[in-house]
Amino acid sequence: MPTNGTLETVSHRARLLASGRSAEARRPARLRGRRPIGLVGGIGLTLLVILTGAAVLAPWISPYNPAETSGNPFEAPSRRHLLGTNDIGQDILSELIFGARISLAIGFLAALVAIAIGTTVGIIAGYFSGLVDTILMRAVDVVLVIPFLPLMILLAAYLGPSFWNIIIVIGVLVWARPARVLRAQVLSMRTLNYIEAARALGAPTGRILRLHILPGVLSLSLAQFILAASNSILIEAALSFLGLGDPTAKSWGSILYYAQVRSAFLSGAWVWWVLPPGLVITLAVLGFALTGFALEEVINPRLRH
Amino acid sequence: MLRFLAGKGAQYALVLLFAVTLNFALPRLMPGSPLVFLAGEDVGFLTDDQRTQLLRSMGLDQPLWVQYVRYLGNLARGDLGHSIQKGRPIVEIIGERLPWTLLLVGLSLAAATLLGVAWGVAAAWRRGSRVDLGSLGISMFFESVPSFWLGMIFIALFAARLRWFPIFGAQTPGAGLAGWALFVDTARHLVLPLATLTLITIPVNFLIMRYSMLAVLGEQYISTAKAKGLAEGTVKYGHAMRNALLPVATVFMLNLGFVVSGATVIETVFSYPGLGRLLYEAVLNRDYPVIQATFFIITISVIVANVLADMLYPLIDPRVRRAH
Repeated sequence: MPTNGTLETVSHRARLLASGRSAEARRPARLRGRRPIGLVGGIGLTLLVILTGAAVLAPWISPYNPAETSGNPFEAPSRRHLLGTNDIGQDILSELIFGARISLAIGFLAALVAIAIGTTVGIIAGYFSGLVDTILMRAVDVVLVIPFLPLMILLAAYLGPSFWNIIIVIGVLVWARPARVLRAQVLSMRTLNYIEAARALGAPTGRILRLHILPGVLSLSLAQFILAASNSILIEAALSFLGLGDPTAKSWGSILYYAQVRSAFLSGAWVWWVLPPGLVITLAVLGFALTGFALEEVINPRLRH
Repeated sequence: MLRFLAGKGAQYALVLLFAVTLNFALPRLMPGSPLVFLAGEDVGFLTDDQRTQLLRSMGLDQPLWVQYVRYLGNLARGDLGHSIQKGRPIVEIIGERLPWTLLLVGLSLAAATLLGVAWGVAAAWRRGSRVDLGSLGISMFFESVPSFWLGMIFIALFAARLRWFPIFGAQTPGAGLAGWALFVDTARHLVLPLATLTLITIPVNFLIMRYSMLAVLGEQYISTAKAKGLAEGTVKYGHAMRNALLPVATVFMLNLGFVVSGATVIETVFSYPGLGRLLYEAVLNRDYPVIQATFFIITISVIVANVLADMLYPLIDPRVRRAH
C-alpha cells in the first residue's frame, strides 16, 4: 500500500525530528545533528546502563528478598524500607530491583523474536518483489490494522500466563513495523552495483542474501530492535497489569497489578506503591526509545533530510 | 479513487478473515478438549456419555470444514454464542458495553486530534525555541508513560484525595437520575478516563503535525505568501496548516489501533463498563467465548472506522479524488 508506506516514513521522520535535531538546522551540514543526537543517545544509554546494572546486580544491591515479608503491611518509606512496603509487608524497592530482571528480559527477548521475524520478512519481501512481496506486505498490513492489545489478550488468555508465552505473544505481533522499514532498505540496496555484480556472476540467491544483503541491513536491524524493545516493555507492563503476567515472576507491571487489585490508589500508599513502578517503566521505555532514535539517525542517512 | 477504495477493501477483508479464522482455530487447536474453552471448565465433571452428547449438540463431532462453515453462518446471522459465566447471549452483553467504548474512544480521538494539531502548529511555527523543544520533551514523556499508570495516579489525586470526580464506573449505580442530572453524572464519570486516554494519544498527533508543518513551512509558496505581506495568521493557518493536515489524516489508521488498545487498559483501571473492561472481566472468569467475541467486535469496529476515514480522505486530499 503506497499510502501506508509514506505514512510509515512520516511517523518515522516525525520521531527522528522529535529527537531535537531541528534546532540545529542552521549549522553547517557536516556538523548538523551530531551534538543533540549524541546528547539524546547519551541520555538513553545512561538510563539503560543504570536499569540493566540494577537488574544484573539485583541479588547484591537489593536490600531484601522481594518475595519475603520484611516489614509490616503498608509501611511508609523509612530508613529500613526506602520505598515502603506493600499489602503483605514486602519491600517495594527490592521488588522494583528484581522486577527489572523480568521486565527487561521480556522486553529484550520479545524484541529479539520480533526482529528475527521482521528482518527475515523484510529481506525476503524486499529482495524478491513480485508475488512474494505482495503476500508478505499484505500480512504486514493485517498485523498493523488489527487492534494489537485485544489480540494479545486473546492469545495470552489461551496460551496461559507464563514468561515464555508473553514473549511469544508480544514477539509475533511487534515484527510488522521493523519488517516494513527493513524492506525499504533492501529495496534500495538491490540495485547497488556489487549486488548486481554478484547476481550477474551467478551467485546463489541464498549466498547473496547472507553475504551481501544481511550485513547491509544489520545496523538498521539493531536500531529497530532497540525500538521494538521499548515497545515490548510497555506492552508487557500492560499485559501484566491486566493479570496476564507470569504469576511466579513479578515484573514492574505485575507490581502495579497488585496495587490496583488491592486498591492502593485509594489510600496514601499510592505514593510509594504506585508512583515508583510506573516511573521506572517510563524511564526504561524512554531509555530504549532515545537510544534507538539516536542510533537510527546515525546509521541511516537516508532518513536525515 | 475506486481502485484506492477497492484495494483498501481487500485489505480489510483480509483482516476480518484473519480475526474470524483465529477465533475459530484457537479453541480447536489448543491441547485438551475444545469443550473446556467453548462450554466452560465444569465439563471436567461430566461422564463420558454426557461429554459425547455435548460434543454432538455443539457440532464439535463434525469435520472441521463443516464446523467452519457453520461458524461463519452463525457469525453472519449475528450469533456470537453464549457467555459461559453469565449464560446470556453475548450479543446482548456487547450491545450494552459497546456504546460506552464508542463514547470514550470517539471523544478522545476528536480531542487528541484537535489538541495535537494545534500544539504541533504552534511548536513548528516557533521551531528550535524553548517552547518547541520543551513540547518535544513532554510529548516524548507522555508517549512512554504506561496509560494505566497515568489513570491510577489520576484516580489517587483527583478522585480519592480531592474528590472532584467519582472513582469508578460510568454512572452512579442506583441513583435514579434523569435528564440533566443524569447527563452531569455521566459527564463527571467520563472526565478522568477521557483525560487519560487523550493525554497518551496527543503525542502521536503532535509529532506528526509538527513534522508535516515544518516540511510545509520550507516550501516556496510560504515565503511568497509572507513576502506578499499577508497577515501571520493567514499564512500560518490558511496556507501552512491546511496543507500540513494531510499526514495527520493518513495516520488515523495507525492511531486507531493504538487508541483502542489504550482504551482497553484504561477502562479496566476506571471500571468503565466498555468493551475493554468486558475483555478484562472475561479473562478473569476464563469466559473464552466472551473474550473471542469481544476481540471480534473490536476488530470490526476498527475496520468500520477505517473505512469511514478512507471515504472521507478524498474530501481532504483532492489528488486522491483525481487519480482514477
